[in-house]
Amino acid sequence: MADFVALFLTDLVLGLLLGCVLAVIAHGLNIIWGVAKVVNVAHGEFIMLGAYGAYFLYLYGGFNPLLSVPIDAAIGLVVGMGFYFGFLYRELRGKESMGLQSELVTLVSTFGLSLVIVNIAQSIWEHPVGILWSPGAAQVGPVPVPFGGLYVAVVSVALIALTDLFLTRTYLGNAIRAYTQDIPATQLMGINPTVVAAVGIGMGFSVTMAGGALLTVWLPTGIDPTKIGILYAPISFVIVVLGGPGKMWGSLVGGLTIGLIINVGQLFLGGSIALATAVAVLTLIPILLFRPEGILR
Amino acid sequence: MRRLSLRTLGPTLLGILAFLGVLAAIAGRMPLVLLTLVINLLIFAALAYSINFITGLTGYVSFGHVLFMAVGGYGLAYGVGTLHWHPVAGVALGALVSLALALGIGAVTLRFRGVYFAIASQVTALAGFYIVLEIQELGGGQGIVLNVGFEPIAWFYTIWVILAIEVGITYWITHGRLGYGIRSIRADEDAAKTVGVHAAALKLVLFAISGLFAGAAGGVYYWQGSGIFPNEAFSLTFSLIMLAMIVIGGMGTLLGPLFGAVAVYLSSQYFLTVLIGFEFVIIGVLVVVIALFLPEGIVGTLRKYVPELRGLIE
Repeated sequence: MADFVALFLTDLVLGLLLGCVLAVIAHGLNIIWGVAKVVNVAHGEFIMLGAYGAYFLYLYGGFNPLLSVPIDAAIGLVVGMGFYFGFLYRELRGKESMGLQSELVTLVSTFGLSLVIVNIAQSIWEHPVGILWSPGAAQVGPVPVPFGGLYVAVVSVALIALTDLFLTRTYLGNAIRAYTQDIPATQLMGINPTVVAAVGIGMGFSVTMAGGALLTVWLPTGIDPTKIGILYAPISFVIVVLGGPGKMWGSLVGGLTIGLIINVGQLFLGGSIALATAVAVLTLIPILLFRPEGILR
Repeated sequence: MRRLSLRTLGPTLLGILAFLGVLAAIAGRMPLVLLTLVINLLIFAALAYSINFITGLTGYVSFGHVLFMAVGGYGLAYGVGTLHWHPVAGVALGALVSLALALGIGAVTLRFRGVYFAIASQVTALAGFYIVLEIQELGGGQGIVLNVGFEPIAWFYTIWVILAIEVGITYWITHGRLGYGIRSIRADEDAAKTVGVHAAALKLVLFAISGLFAGAAGGVYYWQGSGIFPNEAFSLTFSLIMLAMIVIGGMGTLLGPLFGAVAVYLSSQYFLTVLIGFEFVIIGVLVVVIALFLPEGIVGTLRKYVPELRGLIE
């Protein structure tokens, strides 16, 4: 019994720490979703690029994943603006909301983009690569707390708080929020919708790529271009839906929920991470059926 | 009810049937290399028509169609490997299990629209993968290796029959009374419901047909590969190839999936020799360009800009 309690507590802590990182990854998608009202299907591939950014900074500059976060975020801002003008501008321009046809176009074109990125990455970097960074662990009672996971969780929550501050306390942030609510009204207030949307999408991408850098701590077998997108993109979608699309703290609630389901759930599913992951992603369906606005009100 | 005659059948259907007829007539005399190429092309075309039923006709983008293909493959592998059935019976088993699964999943996920349906379909495929990994009867993570003979002619005629039925059903749907209802769902689902289109039932039927044929095509694919391995069977790449084929060919059209299958399959075979993985880069770029600039695909664009072809292709 004491063994089980120790195991349970360990998985609880690991689940919460993992949940924070999953939250920040999904947070990037949440911002993009909130601004453009559409899902970037290639989301997982940008997480992967963020992870590779951290890897190359580690390889050539000796940076640990935490230090590469601001650089990844800066790259993400530029990438995101490029993405906006390449994929969304034509569909969003001059419209009050994205119609079903535009939504279909965006879904399919970003799906094509994900295929391009994954296969280029796979042919350049054939083998999974990892970052050697282990700052040790502390023993709290029966529970080992890895410092790497702890630092990363703190930075993750800080990133979410920072975006929330930006969106609620600055002029540009308020403009972005206004844009997500009512585009014609925003224009009447003298705000340029193109600039606001580009900055909003850029911000989403910088959070996504920073999240990719943070995720590397949780990838013991290394960064594998064929696996990251396939797993973390659907998980991000589920987290955003759980928390409620467009709700900034919803990402954290959803992320912690999924982290707990995966880590604590596997204890009750015969230690099978695979089954726990299946359960975690399938929570999407009851949530959509019974509480489509997400857990948060 | 109009009487069906050769005149009312339309040139597109006759063209496809003639193409299939010629293939069937010369299959026995083809050199093996060409026959293998044709079999794979027909499997791709069957997959393209299967996703066309739901994504092409109703506009519900399914990212998880690989699930039905994989289930078809597992049905075949279980029927042949464990129950020692004939492979054709195995294909039928896989197709029926896929049909049942599509009915179950569709009854829930077809309530969601647009982005939400796309995500839900991708999530069910991912969950399916993780669940199969834990089922020891299906080989778990190792997969199933089958000990079946090399029978290209049997593969050819099985997939030929599947494809011919699919083309027939697609024609029947797009040209019958059912087609008006389905097209109205794609245009505006709420408006369709108010004029008495039974949208939920129509979508579910299409999704079930779609699952049935994706499963059947998957069964033949893994019969030909004589084995199935979870990591490859659930690879999202298959979902993308299916989607790419109808996007490139033209969504919801009768000829589009065939054009798309030829374009995607031949280019994938050609570029495979250049660099592994490069073929998907090319297909991905094609999908992006076509989705952004020619959203109606090859068939829709031809119909738009070449008026003479409007009566001929559909």
